Amino acid sequence: MRLFPVLFLGMLIWLSAQPVSALDHDNLDKNRPLRIEDAYPIAKGEIALEGGTQFSDRRQGRTRVAFQPQILFGAFYNTQLEIGGDLFTEPTAIGGAEKSGDLHVGVLYNFNTETLSLPALAVKLDLEFPTGVRSRGVDGTLAGLLTRSFGRWRTHLNAEYSVIGSARGEERNGLYRLAVGVSYPLGYPMRFRETLIADVFTRQSELSGGRNPTGIEIGLRHQFSSRIVLDGGIGTEFAGPADRSAVFGTVGLSIGY
Amino acid sequence: MRTKHLFAFLGITPVLMALLGPCAQAQFEPRDKRFYDRAVWNFALRDHLPELDIEFNGVDFGHSNLYENLLLTGAKSIPAIEEEARMQTLRFIASRPILPPNEEAIAPTYMKLAWRAQNVFDEAHALHRATYDIYVSDTITDKDAALREALAFYQRSPYAITAGPLDHRRLDQFPYSQAFRRKFPLFNATIWAYHYLQVAVYDVLQEAPDLDSKRKVVQPILATYHGYLDQPPVQWSFMPLTAELSPKFAARYAEIANIFDNLHMLHDNISDILVSDLFPTREAKRAEIYRIIDSYYLAGADPVNPMIMRRSEQSPPTHAH
Repeated sequence: MRLFPVLFLGMLIWLSAQPVSALDHDNLDKNRPLRIEDAYPIAKGEIALEGGTQFSDRRQGRTRVAFQPQILFGAFYNTQLEIGGDLFTEPTAIGGAEKSGDLHVGVLYNFNTETLSLPALAVKLDLEFPTGVRSRGVDGTLAGLLTRSFGRWRTHLNAEYSVIGSARGEERNGLYRLAVGVSYPLGYPMRFRETLIADVFTRQSELSGGRNPTGIEIGLRHQFSSRIVLDGGIGTEFAGPADRSAVFGTVGLSIGY
Repeated sequence: MRTKHLFAFLGITPVLMALLGPCAQAQFEPRDKRFYDRAVWNFALRDHLPELDIEFNGVDFGHSNLYENLLLTGAKSIPAIEEEARMQTLRFIASRPILPPNEEAIAPTYMKLAWRAQNVFDEAHALHRATYDIYVSDTITDKDAALREALAFYQRSPYAITAGPLDHRRLDQFPYSQAFRRKFPLFNATIWAYHYLQVAVYDVLQEAPDLDSKRKVVQPILATYHGYLDQPPVQWSFMPLTAELSPKFAARYAEIANIFDNLHMLHDNISDILVSDLFPTREAKRAEIYRIIDSYYLAGADPVNPMIMRRSEQSPPTHAH
């Protein structure tokens, strides 16, 4: 369980000494800084190290903090492999399928780039292995991703369905998530270093019969240097169960090699 | 419950396929982005000779901004291109950008029209950048081997331009050729000024023994380039060629020089297609752009490419720049 963060830190130190290339700050990856992602993978051959810290101030219960390390690899043309795992404070108190220290492995495949008549489309398969605290069963998620631009505005739709490997008690053994977002490059025609992102989302509650946590979030990705993109975001869940987030926020960075 | 999960999983794929729908065959196009050649020379120009790197970042803006504006205006308004779009470009260059701009944000319409052409440009521009980095990198002692490695990496791409000597005169004699330069001579000369900068620095960078002298030898070229931006060289009748401006580099690395000249010729062809009334719709422009790329520019077409000159057909460049 503690192996992944150690490996991630080691990779970060090793890679910081290597020659690196520019990162595409318009390419949206999950949690950097929002949940919405675009239908495009990173380039073939690229390695991206991503990490961030997220806090969630809940209406009931204690504030939760999560660290979100992730490694992406452009294994083939149009194909991105991912490995990561979220680490939470108070790991023993977390309900639902997502557990602190679970190992996440995923693959995103992009079918096509956007053209005049077609949006960009991708499919993503994620597996969560029970390496975390009090975790049981392998969870699987299949997602469809769509990106369509209108001028410089890009719109994104993410629809996903998860099968929970070992639901307990009142927990659902399958749930959907939906997110719709927009992104916009700020500064044209003089500056191209910031991308504004916003989305609305809803997801089925983890407990049967519960209301969908539904919210809105907004964030920014900033090309800090050729090598580093910084991000930050903030949001709220305005509907849902009693312990939903009143406010949550994320800061993070991505490094491309 | 298992049945429900199966339907949910399987449901996402048909929805995606349905969205692809009737247009799928007409415009289905892979994204196919490839990362740079990861090498010790990466970013040497940005780190050690930023005054030149900044100019290339400015150049990156120019073509994309031109193509987007030609598409959005239908190439009907001369002030929209010669004044507004050109001045946007000059202001961006004058802002001295320390990072390359995101070309998809500059030209979203053009990228949707001709993504494959953009992939061809991106790969060739990455080769341009790699060659500058190699010349400026103080950790590379065997520049020759490094340049050949960069070329080999480039040529492994399915979007690589032919390294053969294309017949640029014939490529400039299509029914629509020269439409852009006739209608928009100022912006065309500005584009050719970029191409001047891109190829003129090779010989001086190659010959300068150390970083200090490299910094000094590029200064006159930068001054000339900025002179061209202020007073676009509309008297030029043809684009600058590598053999004219960096003859030693062109002689030693003929394949790389050919690729750059062919790249710049393709830029001119696409400008002409976007301007020409012979292609009244965006679909027609796209079809012609892809036709010339597939037939005359991609290295994969070499065995049957009628535009590759045999040795007996080649002559030294004769254009005055």
